[in-house]
Amino acid sequence: MANPLCHPPLAELLGDRYTESPFERSFYQRDLAVVPHSLARLIGQTLPDAVARPRTAEEVAAIMRYAGERKLAVTPRAAGSTTFWNAVPLHGGLLLDLNGLAGLAALDTDHLTADVWAGTRWADLERALRRRGFAVLAYPTSAPAATVAGWFCMEGHGIGSLKYGGMAGHVAGLEAVLADGHIAQIAAATPDAPTVAELAGSEGTLAVITRIRLRLRPAPAAVGHHLLRFRDMATLQAAALDLSTARPTPYYLHFADDACGRLLTQAGFPPPADGALLAITYDGAAAEVAAGAATVERAAAQTAGEELPAAAAARAWDERFLALHLKRAGPSVLGTEAWLSVSQLAAYTANVARLARRQNLPIATYGMVVAPGMATVMSLFGCDDARPLAYLLALSLTGRLYEIAFRHGGRPYGIGVWNTPYLGRAFAAEELTAQRRRKQAFDPANLLNPGKRYAPPALLWPPTFRLGMAALAGIRRIGRRWLR
Amino acid sequence: MTTPAPFGGLAQETRICAHCGYCLAGCPIYQAVGWESASPRGRMAIAAALVHGNALSAEAAQRLYECTLCGHCRTVCPTRIDTLATWLEARQRLADQSALDRLPLGRLRDNLCAAHNITGEPAENRLLWQEELSLAPALLNARPGAQVVYFVGCVAALYGQGHAIARAAVEIFHRADLDFTTLGSAEWCCGFPLLGLGLPEEAAAVARHNLAAVRALAGQAVVTTCPSCFHMWRDVYPALLGGPIGVEVMHAGELLARLIAEGRIAFRPLPGRVTYHDPCDLGRNSGVYDAPRAVLQAIPGLELVEMADHRKHARCCGGGGNLEAINPDLAGELARQRLVQAVETGATLLVTPCQQCKRTLATAARRERVRLRVLDLTETVVQALA
Ligand SMILES: Cc1cc2nc3c(=O)[nH]c(=O)nc-3n(C[C@H](O)[C@H](O)[C@H](O)COP(=O)(O)OP(=O)(O)OC[C@H]3O[C@@H](n4cnc5c(N)ncnc54)[C@H](O)[C@@H]3O)c2cc1C
Ligand code: SF4
Ligand code: SF4
Repeated sequence: MANPLCHPPLAELLGDRYTESPFERSFYQRDLAVVPHSLARLIGQTLPDAVARPRTAEEVAAIMRYAGERKLAVTPRAAGSTTFWNAVPLHGGLLLDLNGLAGLAALDTDHLTADVWAGTRWADLERALRRRGFAVLAYPTSAPAATVAGWFCMEGHGIGSLKYGGMAGHVAGLEAVLADGHIAQIAAATPDAPTVAELAGSEGTLAVITRIRLRLRPAPAAVGHHLLRFRDMATLQAAALDLSTARPTPYYLHFADDACGRLLTQAGFPPPADGALLAITYDGAAAEVAAGAATVERAAAQTAGEELPAAAAARAWDERFLALHLKRAGPSVLGTEAWLSVSQLAAYTANVARLARRQNLPIATYGMVVAPGMATVMSLFGCDDARPLAYLLALSLTGRLYEIAFRHGGRPYGIGVWNTPYLGRAFAAEELTAQRRRKQAFDPANLLNPGKRYAPPALLWPPTFRLGMAALAGIRRIGRRWLR
Repeated sequence: MTTPAPFGGLAQETRICAHCGYCLAGCPIYQAVGWESASPRGRMAIAAALVHGNALSAEAAQRLYECTLCGHCRTVCPTRIDTLATWLEARQRLADQSALDRLPLGRLRDNLCAAHNITGEPAENRLLWQEELSLAPALLNARPGAQVVYFVGCVAALYGQGHAIARAAVEIFHRADLDFTTLGSAEWCCGFPLLGLGLPEEAAAVARHNLAAVRALAGQAVVTTCPSCFHMWRDVYPALLGGPIGVEVMHAGELLARLIAEGRIAFRPLPGRVTYHDPCDLGRNSGVYDAPRAVLQAIPGLELVEMADHRKHARCCGGGGNLEAINPDLAGELARQRLVQAVETGATLLVTPCQQCKRTLATAARRERVRLRVLDLTETVVQALA
């Protein structure tokens, strides 16, 4: 006989879109990060008690009211394409799987906006819009998986952000269900609800977003891709800075160091060329794209960059969603993502390369220029999670990589759980206080995505965390040879 | 769009899976079921448990078989996992754990192994579709020396709905003066369902039998109206048998395009709006997209309109991977979802070069009371013959 349900009203509300089955629930305990079970258990209860798949704002509202009455933790989750456990429960409770709340609800061609359900994937949206002659302003390099609200709730910078700004600025309004279960239509500033700007990057801790009104653009008439090769990251940095501030503004400005190319080759997918590579794409009117080509030619000449053939440039663009090729060099990968000034790129990668040499471990660095002078920078290395001890020790390297980023004025990009030890260094004290005050005001019972964003869980308190990381690093140093 | 890396075995590939979720959007099963367990990455997690020799629960095993082997996940996977090879190895391990008898799949296996077809009927029933034909059986069946062997396939031979396809195919071949025959009652199921059950050795035995039968007739080419038979003959038989099989393999869509180009068949106008459904095993899994479209475009008066998801993005009709045997309702739901896309085009005719797709989509159209005719490509061509 089946066990009696813990939350019959939710089953009644959602029918077969609600489950308490241990089998079904077990699939929501992770994101891209591979975390040894023993460690995961120490951090929190990652197994949700139930999973709900609402399809309307009203259903989300009813769930929130129910959760409020019973003080149940609620973890909003879309594609789960994050890496810091942003959408992994830490206190069991209800997991809201929002993938079914998807689709293009309305298109306003006069005002160039689209009303999009929260769980719509970027690639699906872009395809639907292109068929109608429009395009989104920006999207993440995880577009085949990532959802509109998922990216909005993260830091929302990616392809197109350099030209059009971060996603927060593309939202003309949204619908959200607040922690008390009330459905709010939120414009720039709405009383008794967080603002659009406050919800951006809130990682599911302030409200459940159900619909977003996105600003669009007409589908660009022309597109031009370029790929430059540099002898080192210093010249690449100079070209990236130049191109990011010159007119026209590139739609896509992606860089990779030569270690990235080597790791890709090791993974079985050699990049279009070796060396430090800068991929540039312009789109828009034909004249803009032509002007872009001239700008690239000038910048390349000034920085001794070699322009590679058009086919290689087109391939770099076609592969913009495929960074995970690198995983074949693993089978696991570990790494960091930092928000860093472009002016620090060369110094940062030089330090990472030094670390890689000392550890005798290839570390690939790549990223995008996503705002004037600013980049998101990934540093990744292969490892093997089937060897738990070696894997745990490899984790200590992520701490070292963040230290390098901090040394160059950077900070972690996205917080979730795993970057909570860095909160105090990632944000100014006033900003952090304001964020915590906001959480207290809009979710006083701490129902929404508890354990994320505002304070580390006990095991990750900065002093404990630093000590742990230092110990792991020490053991790794001593045991490196033996482990290999 | 990605191409898979060489398959490194279940243990390696399940660990390479990044859990990135790129495969969520296009998986028809995940779209219909909605739970993570039904997604390709959920299936990867289930398959990973098999690596350690764990016996799977019934619901976990069921999820591994609730997959149409449509190949969509393989075309989007950024870690380039050959997901189809992964699912097949996982099913093989499950079959080794006697899962087929715990799931409603034992009967299908028994039919395939004992009667060599999916329905379990006697071999002579494979000839029932020929009853209303004027062509001489001696010409049609196992005629030595015929250049082309038409491999009919179980659905066309044994399902009433499929008979018209086989009849249309031979009528076209006859009109085009093609030197052809069939294997008659000596034809065995191509082995695709056996492979899908996780029984590659049994599939290899079938491949050996069918190839020997074609060689006995000295046939130089094999043509199929079934994309799965085509995929088996062209791509899987050489792998199962350890080398090239020495006969040319064509799908009817390719052969018809060739016959049209050679001026061996001509059309009268057939006015109407048609939409084309890419069968997974012909399009995504074999790379044949253009030839069947070229056939439709050669018919005067026929206007071809594409569905929202077509070519490499085409949604599965639910007919593959033995899904109907394990969860017929889910297979029906997939067909219904594909039908919705066809209806959205405003076409009055839905054409597919696949007997199984025709069956599932026509059944869905009847069930949904949709005014959309569903025809196989050969049936469409035969109607338009001058
Ligand atoms: C290959 C790859 C490339 C990437 N590229 C980029 C990139 O270019 N730029 C970038 O910024 N990031 C990038 N990321 C990480 C990125 O954060 C995610 O891909 C994306 O933003 C998350 O979307 P998701 O739908 O998967 O959300 P999830 O991971 O499911 O959730 C993310 C957060 O949002 C919350 N959330 C989700 N939906 C809702 C909702 N409807 N209401 C309230 N809260 C919600 C969750 O609780 C969680 O905190 C990349 C990741 C991968 C794997
Ligand atoms: S797309 Fe590939 S790597 Fe990503 S979750 Fe699916 S199977 Fe795994
Ligand atoms: S082969 Fe098709 S049905 Fe099977 S998991 Fe992949 S996308 Fe889903």
